[in-house]
Amino acid sequence: MVQEILAYIILAAAIFFLVRKFLWKKKNEKNCGEGDCGCH
Amino acid sequence: MRQTIASLKKGEKAVIRDFDVEAIPLKLLEMGCLPGNLVEVLQVAPLGDPLYLNINGSHLAIRLETAREIAIDPLTITLQ
Amino acid sequence: MTSTKNINVALIGNPNTGKTSVFNQLTGLNQQVGNYPGITVEKKIGFCKLPYNIKANILDLPGTYSLNASSIDENVVIEMLLNKNDKLYPDVVLVVADVENLKRNLLLFTQIKDLEIPTILVINMADRMGAKGISLDVPYLEAQLKTKIAVISSRKGTGIDELKKLIVAYQSLPTEPCLNASIIDPEYFNRLRKTFPNQLLYKLWLVITQDVNFAQLDRNEIRNSYTRSQTELKKIQQKETIKRYQFINEVLKDGQKINLATAKDFRIQLDRILTHKVWGYAIFFAILFVIFQSIFSWSAVPMDFIDSTFASLSTLAAQHLPAGVLTDLIAQGIIPGIGGIVIFIPQIAFLFLFISMLEESGYMSRVVFLMDKIMRRFGLSGKSVVPLISGTACAIPAIMATRNIENWKERLITILVTPFTTCSARLPVYAIIIALVIPEKRVLGILNLQGLTLMLLYLIGFGTAIVAAYLLNKILKINGKTYFVVEMPGYKLPMFKNVSLNVLEKTKAFVWGAGKIILAISIVLWFLASSGPGNAFHHADQIVAAQHLSEPLSATDFENAVASQKLENSYIGIMGKAIEPAIAPLGYDWKIGIALISSFAAREVFVGTLATIYSVGDTDNENTIKNKMQTEIHPDTGQKVFNFATGISLLLFYAFAMQCASTLAITKKETNSWKWPATQLVLMSGLAYLVALVTYQILK
Repeated sequence: MVQEILAYIILAAAIFFLVRKFLWKKKNEKNCGEGDCGCH
Repeated sequence: MRQTIASLKKGEKAVIRDFDVEAIPLKLLEMGCLPGNLVEVLQVAPLGDPLYLNINGSHLAIRLETAREIAIDPLTITLQ
Repeated sequence: MTSTKNINVALIGNPNTGKTSVFNQLTGLNQQVGNYPGITVEKKIGFCKLPYNIKANILDLPGTYSLNASSIDENVVIEMLLNKNDKLYPDVVLVVADVENLKRNLLLFTQIKDLEIPTILVINMADRMGAKGISLDVPYLEAQLKTKIAVISSRKGTGIDELKKLIVAYQSLPTEPCLNASIIDPEYFNRLRKTFPNQLLYKLWLVITQDVNFAQLDRNEIRNSYTRSQTELKKIQQKETIKRYQFINEVLKDGQKINLATAKDFRIQLDRILTHKVWGYAIFFAILFVIFQSIFSWSAVPMDFIDSTFASLSTLAAQHLPAGVLTDLIAQGIIPGIGGIVIFIPQIAFLFLFISMLEESGYMSRVVFLMDKIMRRFGLSGKSVVPLISGTACAIPAIMATRNIENWKERLITILVTPFTTCSARLPVYAIIIALVIPEKRVLGILNLQGLTLMLLYLIGFGTAIVAAYLLNKILKINGKTYFVVEMPGYKLPMFKNVSLNVLEKTKAFVWGAGKIILAISIVLWFLASSGPGNAFHHADQIVAAQHLSEPLSATDFENAVASQKLENSYIGIMGKAIEPAIAPLGYDWKIGIALISSFAAREVFVGTLATIYSVGDTDNENTIKNKMQTEIHPDTGQKVFNFATGISLLLFYAFAMQCASTLAITKKETNSWKWPATQLVLMSGLAYLVALVTYQILK
């Protein structure tokens, strides 16, 4: 059924989005780490 | 004992003498806290901290511990 | 010849110069806010139509006092100005200055000039010149500062057209610096010049002193031969500042005249009252009270409207779309999910309306001044006041508001404790539980017991935040120098345009930030609740029919009973039953367990889930839900499920528990690590569990 396929696609997208938001460790080139660069 | 901004009372004015560059945020210098400039204490917060100052025309507030680092010469009232 | 490419214009200036006003005047509603990649600084870009069919991209850079960065915000400014290949690298820079603080504002101006980018000096707040007795010799200033000057008032809207003409003519702006960088320390700079003859001296200097990536040159090359100790560098920076001010004083001696006789100053009088030992605090708390009262009473009507609108939409969708799984997902998962987000917009918008007005008027700095010392006892800063107050609407914009706290430890503690304050999403949960277990009595003749309980919960929220801050302050070993400097700007009437654009921006931040997460989780939860393994789920209708052979149910009752049976045997029902042993000591059954799990998406989902569980179906009549819950008897104990002990236990659980998933996400983003949100989750959930456990055991 078309409806079922579409519904499962939406579910997959939602799960993918959540995983990326919470579990993905982004690589930051200009990241100073804990927020305080200690530059001063 | 050297006098600092921390020892000024509300309404008193003074001239900034010197300070240890390490102890003061650069931002403060950039806002006008430089040797030779005028400082006036506009208001002291209840509990003595922070201090509301007029430094060289800039109105700002700093904490007591920072104020203690800035040495001043009190203004002599009589001008020759 | 018309150019098809847009000009890049960068707006820079001290805070409180009305730079945002200028930005708004130039771009109107054509602006968008995003983030610089990898960091949490706001990137504000707008679009402006100039004369002669030329179009400009206007970039509003974070306010700063100088190019010597002392925060990530200011770092962004330098990064951009040093990198010619950045696609936003400006063709022309507008330095916005405030006519009352010209001396200080010009420091930044001279630094920008040293980078040899075409620059226009925009002197704002021209409307105050008369009142302050200030007059300017513009041609003289233009010659000395080697630039073109636009004198404007962004408040009154004057001078904007002249400014636009100057922008269009940017290529004819002089690009020589007005100050020679090497006079700061001739020997040092001459050596620099000999080694890097092709680079701008001042640019090199900035690279050395800042933590900045310079596109064409590797930092290490310069670092190794020219590094001095931090102290020595700072001494040179101090010399730089002194030299610049000397230059500025010379220029202003003849370029600006101030007639003190005609100057008027309200600031002094107002400050005397507003920062007074007693009146200052009294006025502040009175203002807070008015704000909260207004938010609650004004939001009630729009919230009811939104509630019923989305309920209708849901029904419409179910009726008009072809039957099937997708339609169910839309009508029962997606539409209510979005509704759950939209319903909080009124409260958030009103709160930020007030905060915005207080900030625009200049009053907020006085609040920071009054509260700093007290807050510091708890490891917080005076600047933590705004986030803590904002947290009563929603923690997401509140945590974002901590960005202006300079001290990392104070900022971190503020981020971690803000979720303890009672956010508006918890109100529906509190409301229904209080209605169920707290009698409608009056105490001392005037105080409503239910209202009192609510107030108590709010106080517990704040109190816990403060205590947690105190403990964190003792436990966390982070060293940070205190660089607290707060400018106390002159008092101004808030401008409608600025305030409304600000409210719009903050509301969007909430809707996109929290909204996407809430929607995604709602979708997942819907699936978990509407599918299940095994016969008990798939043959629910047969099972229910078999249960009621002797007394057949009406059509509606049958439907509701089937829905309830399905929910009990769905994936989420299984999860609820699985955790029941763990939550039974707190006085909860598996039905409450399901609601607890699903409210992790957003607290208000708790009530909706309970409605489904108690087979109330689509009715969103509060009384019906309440009555059902009131009469519910626990099969094992024969007692009421929602008794007093369970009720209080639930209330306290929600007061302390780690709030919704969106809060975790924003904490991760703002602290740049998963360590902190993970700790929050574990500690807060643990605390909530313990408190609820103890409470139930004592009260039962």
